[in-house]
Amino acid sequence: MSYELTIEPLGQTITVEDGQTILDASLRHGIYLPHACGHGLCATCKVQVLDGEVEHGEASTFALMDFEREEGKTLACCAIPQSDVTIEADIDEEPDARNIPVEDFPGTVSRIETLTPTIKAVFVKLDGGATLPFQSGQYVNLHIPGHERLTRPFSLANPPGAGDEIELNIRLVPGGAATGYIHQQMAVGDRVTVAGPYGRFFLRTSRKTPFLFLAGGSGLSSPRSMILDLLAHGETQPITLVYGARNRAELYYHDEFVALAKAHANFTYVPALSDEPEGSDWTSARGYVHDAARAHFDNDFRGHTAYLCGPPMMIDACISTLMQGRLFERDIFVEKFISAADAQQVRSPFFKKF
Amino acid sequence: MDMPTTTKKKLGIKEKYALMTRGLDWETTYQPMDKVFPYAKFEGIKIHDWDKWEDPFRLTMDAYWKYQAEKERKLYAILDAFNQNNGHLGITDARYVNTLKLFLNGISPLEYMAHRGFAHVGRQFPGVGPRVACQMQSLDEMRHAQTQIHSMSNYNRYYNGFHSFPEMLQKVWYMSVPRSFFDDAYTSGPFEFMVAIGFSFEYVLTNLLFVPFVSGAAYNGDMGAMTFGFSAQSDEARHMTLGLECIRFMLEQDPDNIPIVQKWIDKWTWRGIRVLTLVAMMMDYMLPKKVMSWKEAWEIYFEENATALFNDLARYGIKMPDCAKQALIDKEHISHQAWATFYQYSAVSNFHGWLPSSEEMDWLSAKYPDTFDQYYRPRFEHWAKEAAEGRRFYNTTLPQLCQVCQIPMIFTEPTDPTQICYRESEFEGDKYHFCSDHCKNIFDDEPEKYVQAWLPVQQIYQGNCFMPDADPTKPDFNPIEEVLRYYNLQNGRDNMDYVGSEDEANFRAWRQTSTQN
Repeated sequence: MSYELTIEPLGQTITVEDGQTILDASLRHGIYLPHACGHGLCATCKVQVLDGEVEHGEASTFALMDFEREEGKTLACCAIPQSDVTIEADIDEEPDARNIPVEDFPGTVSRIETLTPTIKAVFVKLDGGATLPFQSGQYVNLHIPGHERLTRPFSLANPPGAGDEIELNIRLVPGGAATGYIHQQMAVGDRVTVAGPYGRFFLRTSRKTPFLFLAGGSGLSSPRSMILDLLAHGETQPITLVYGARNRAELYYHDEFVALAKAHANFTYVPALSDEPEGSDWTSARGYVHDAARAHFDNDFRGHTAYLCGPPMMIDACISTLMQGRLFERDIFVEKFISAADAQQVRSPFFKKF
Repeated sequence: MDMPTTTKKKLGIKEKYALMTRGLDWETTYQPMDKVFPYAKFEGIKIHDWDKWEDPFRLTMDAYWKYQAEKERKLYAILDAFNQNNGHLGITDARYVNTLKLFLNGISPLEYMAHRGFAHVGRQFPGVGPRVACQMQSLDEMRHAQTQIHSMSNYNRYYNGFHSFPEMLQKVWYMSVPRSFFDDAYTSGPFEFMVAIGFSFEYVLTNLLFVPFVSGAAYNGDMGAMTFGFSAQSDEARHMTLGLECIRFMLEQDPDNIPIVQKWIDKWTWRGIRVLTLVAMMMDYMLPKKVMSWKEAWEIYFEENATALFNDLARYGIKMPDCAKQALIDKEHISHQAWATFYQYSAVSNFHGWLPSSEEMDWLSAKYPDTFDQYYRPRFEHWAKEAAEGRRFYNTTLPQLCQVCQIPMIFTEPTDPTQICYRESEFEGDKYHFCSDHCKNIFDDEPEKYVQAWLPVQQIYQGNCFMPDADPTKPDFNPIEEVLRYYNLQNGRDNMDYVGSEDEANFRAWRQTSTQN
């Protein structure tokens, strides 16, 4: 059976599956715990158990000594919860995290709009006028109706506090079971359930630094929610959105951002098209998001906090560009899930988040 | 009296650590900080904000003593049990003991040198974060040296070649290879030392050193050495993360640091690779029960892991060192070339030599299908034939040494494994010799440092490796015997072939006594 794991000082609670280690569960929920060897020898992942029972597994007696076991220490890479557990880990507190508990929200599909040839906006009206509390940038799991075990994560595209209707922007993945269903079969009036909010991709407003959003394709949802959230709260720091799509037809919410940039002196909108036909009437940047960002900031990103959302290739190119422009890991936030496949490949421990 | 009733939140681990370390630092007032930290700037590394240093681990002194004391208790309990039960008679074969001699003579003193190096840089960094971390590592390194010496001291009661390791490090010819590596590191500035030891050695190359020795001990029944390995490994995570943080910090502080750091990574990766030749030889030739081949270890621990690391570093503009290309070729050759050298020179070594058995040669053929049969098997078979006919080959001519890595010029051209690789440079009218392009590049960048190298062969020819009472004018003067006397090497016991040695005879006799009446 599964247990609840609460991680201090974050205060976040996640679910640990039967037989799953604390480290594995944390990483899969996007919470980075320091770790290195991954098999109980080096003690980098040592944490304090504040409450509950764990099985220490394969932890070496040198890396986790008897007196430490008595003091309630354990190695996250080997520890398997035997009850609900609270741990304290050596990680930074996030002053901007609200740690909103996850809940299930049943609702009805209220509108479906075609944003681009490959992206649809699905609006879900929650039952009983419920509102889904979340931090802009977070995501929900959408349960596909009629498919018991089919759920997919989608970022919320609406800002918080927008009432009882949520918006999800969904790209058709070729051959994708869930997105195929949504694009071809889902209809207004369908009953769905969303669970959330999830994720640690949210605004770090307490840093009081200029905001830089780099988005590609359907990765626009989170940045859109975040920007609308910031502007609604009268944020005065400069806000820049560099948004890339293949061509004009794939560029959505373009007019909205143009209007926002006109209305707010501190908001700058930099759209870029990578595959727009020569000779079209497009007058803004051509090329990839990272190229447009480098050109716009003249290769100097210092002082910003950056939020990256989009396909893996785009994220990768943007991280390199930001770092060459002197913005480093502590100032870069990426919407990324550490999947089972990531855990398999040889990774260096140099970066925590990338 | 009313007690204050503030509901102060419990401090996190990070905040607690900050108060116990950074909170203890201060800015000097009656001396300028530049005079307090005189070595912080001459290397050209620019640091603008020491507060941006992110502590790679958070351990306070009180916790440190507690942990390490417990580790020691555990380690010594196992060592005592191993020694009291005559654990040394349970090893696969006494040839294995020679790997311990190599370790005790060549590696353990480096732990001590690392202790000194980290104590030095732990004093020299203006930032308190790295100062505390380096001081902690300095203590770890001291502990590693001590526990290794203690673990192996039991072998000194029964086997030859362990008796004078601190003296031999200073004198014996091949010991100048590991020693000059560390001399080079700790005579550089504090930032270069961190790249040399903290990063290149402790991070990029450490698994290639420790895993073979610790697994080698486990495979060959040496629980004592295996246990000090585990005990040390529980400290290594801190060392690795310190090296990584130091690189990250330098690269992020100023773009001008990038080419300097790249130069040091290039240099110290190669310096480390050359020293690891001794490990390569140990894995392929010295372990009676082998763990894996050097080539396999290199592929796992360097080609896979280091490539992942350098992919990450590429984001800063740091490239994989050029020398990795040569190392990719050399992995097929260096262990064979090194063991062939020690076989020829085992009369002047402090551990024994032997030829691989025919089963071992078959193992080598299987592990090195592209090189062993073609280039190395014929040489070993030739020597075996010579030895069988009473002409065991001892080379009595002293070899030319590389001015930088100090290894004899035994390595072959990357493009031709039948040609010895020679490189040379001129400096102030003198000619200097190198084993490779990479050692030459290191010299050319800092010739005034490397012309000072203490090269054992030159020192012997200059007459500096004899005892004060040696008289070269005597008609019966035997220079080799005199050099051995200077080394404090017990001629006929510590050196020459394993077959026929006291070690071999004693091990056989003792094992027999322990298993029969």
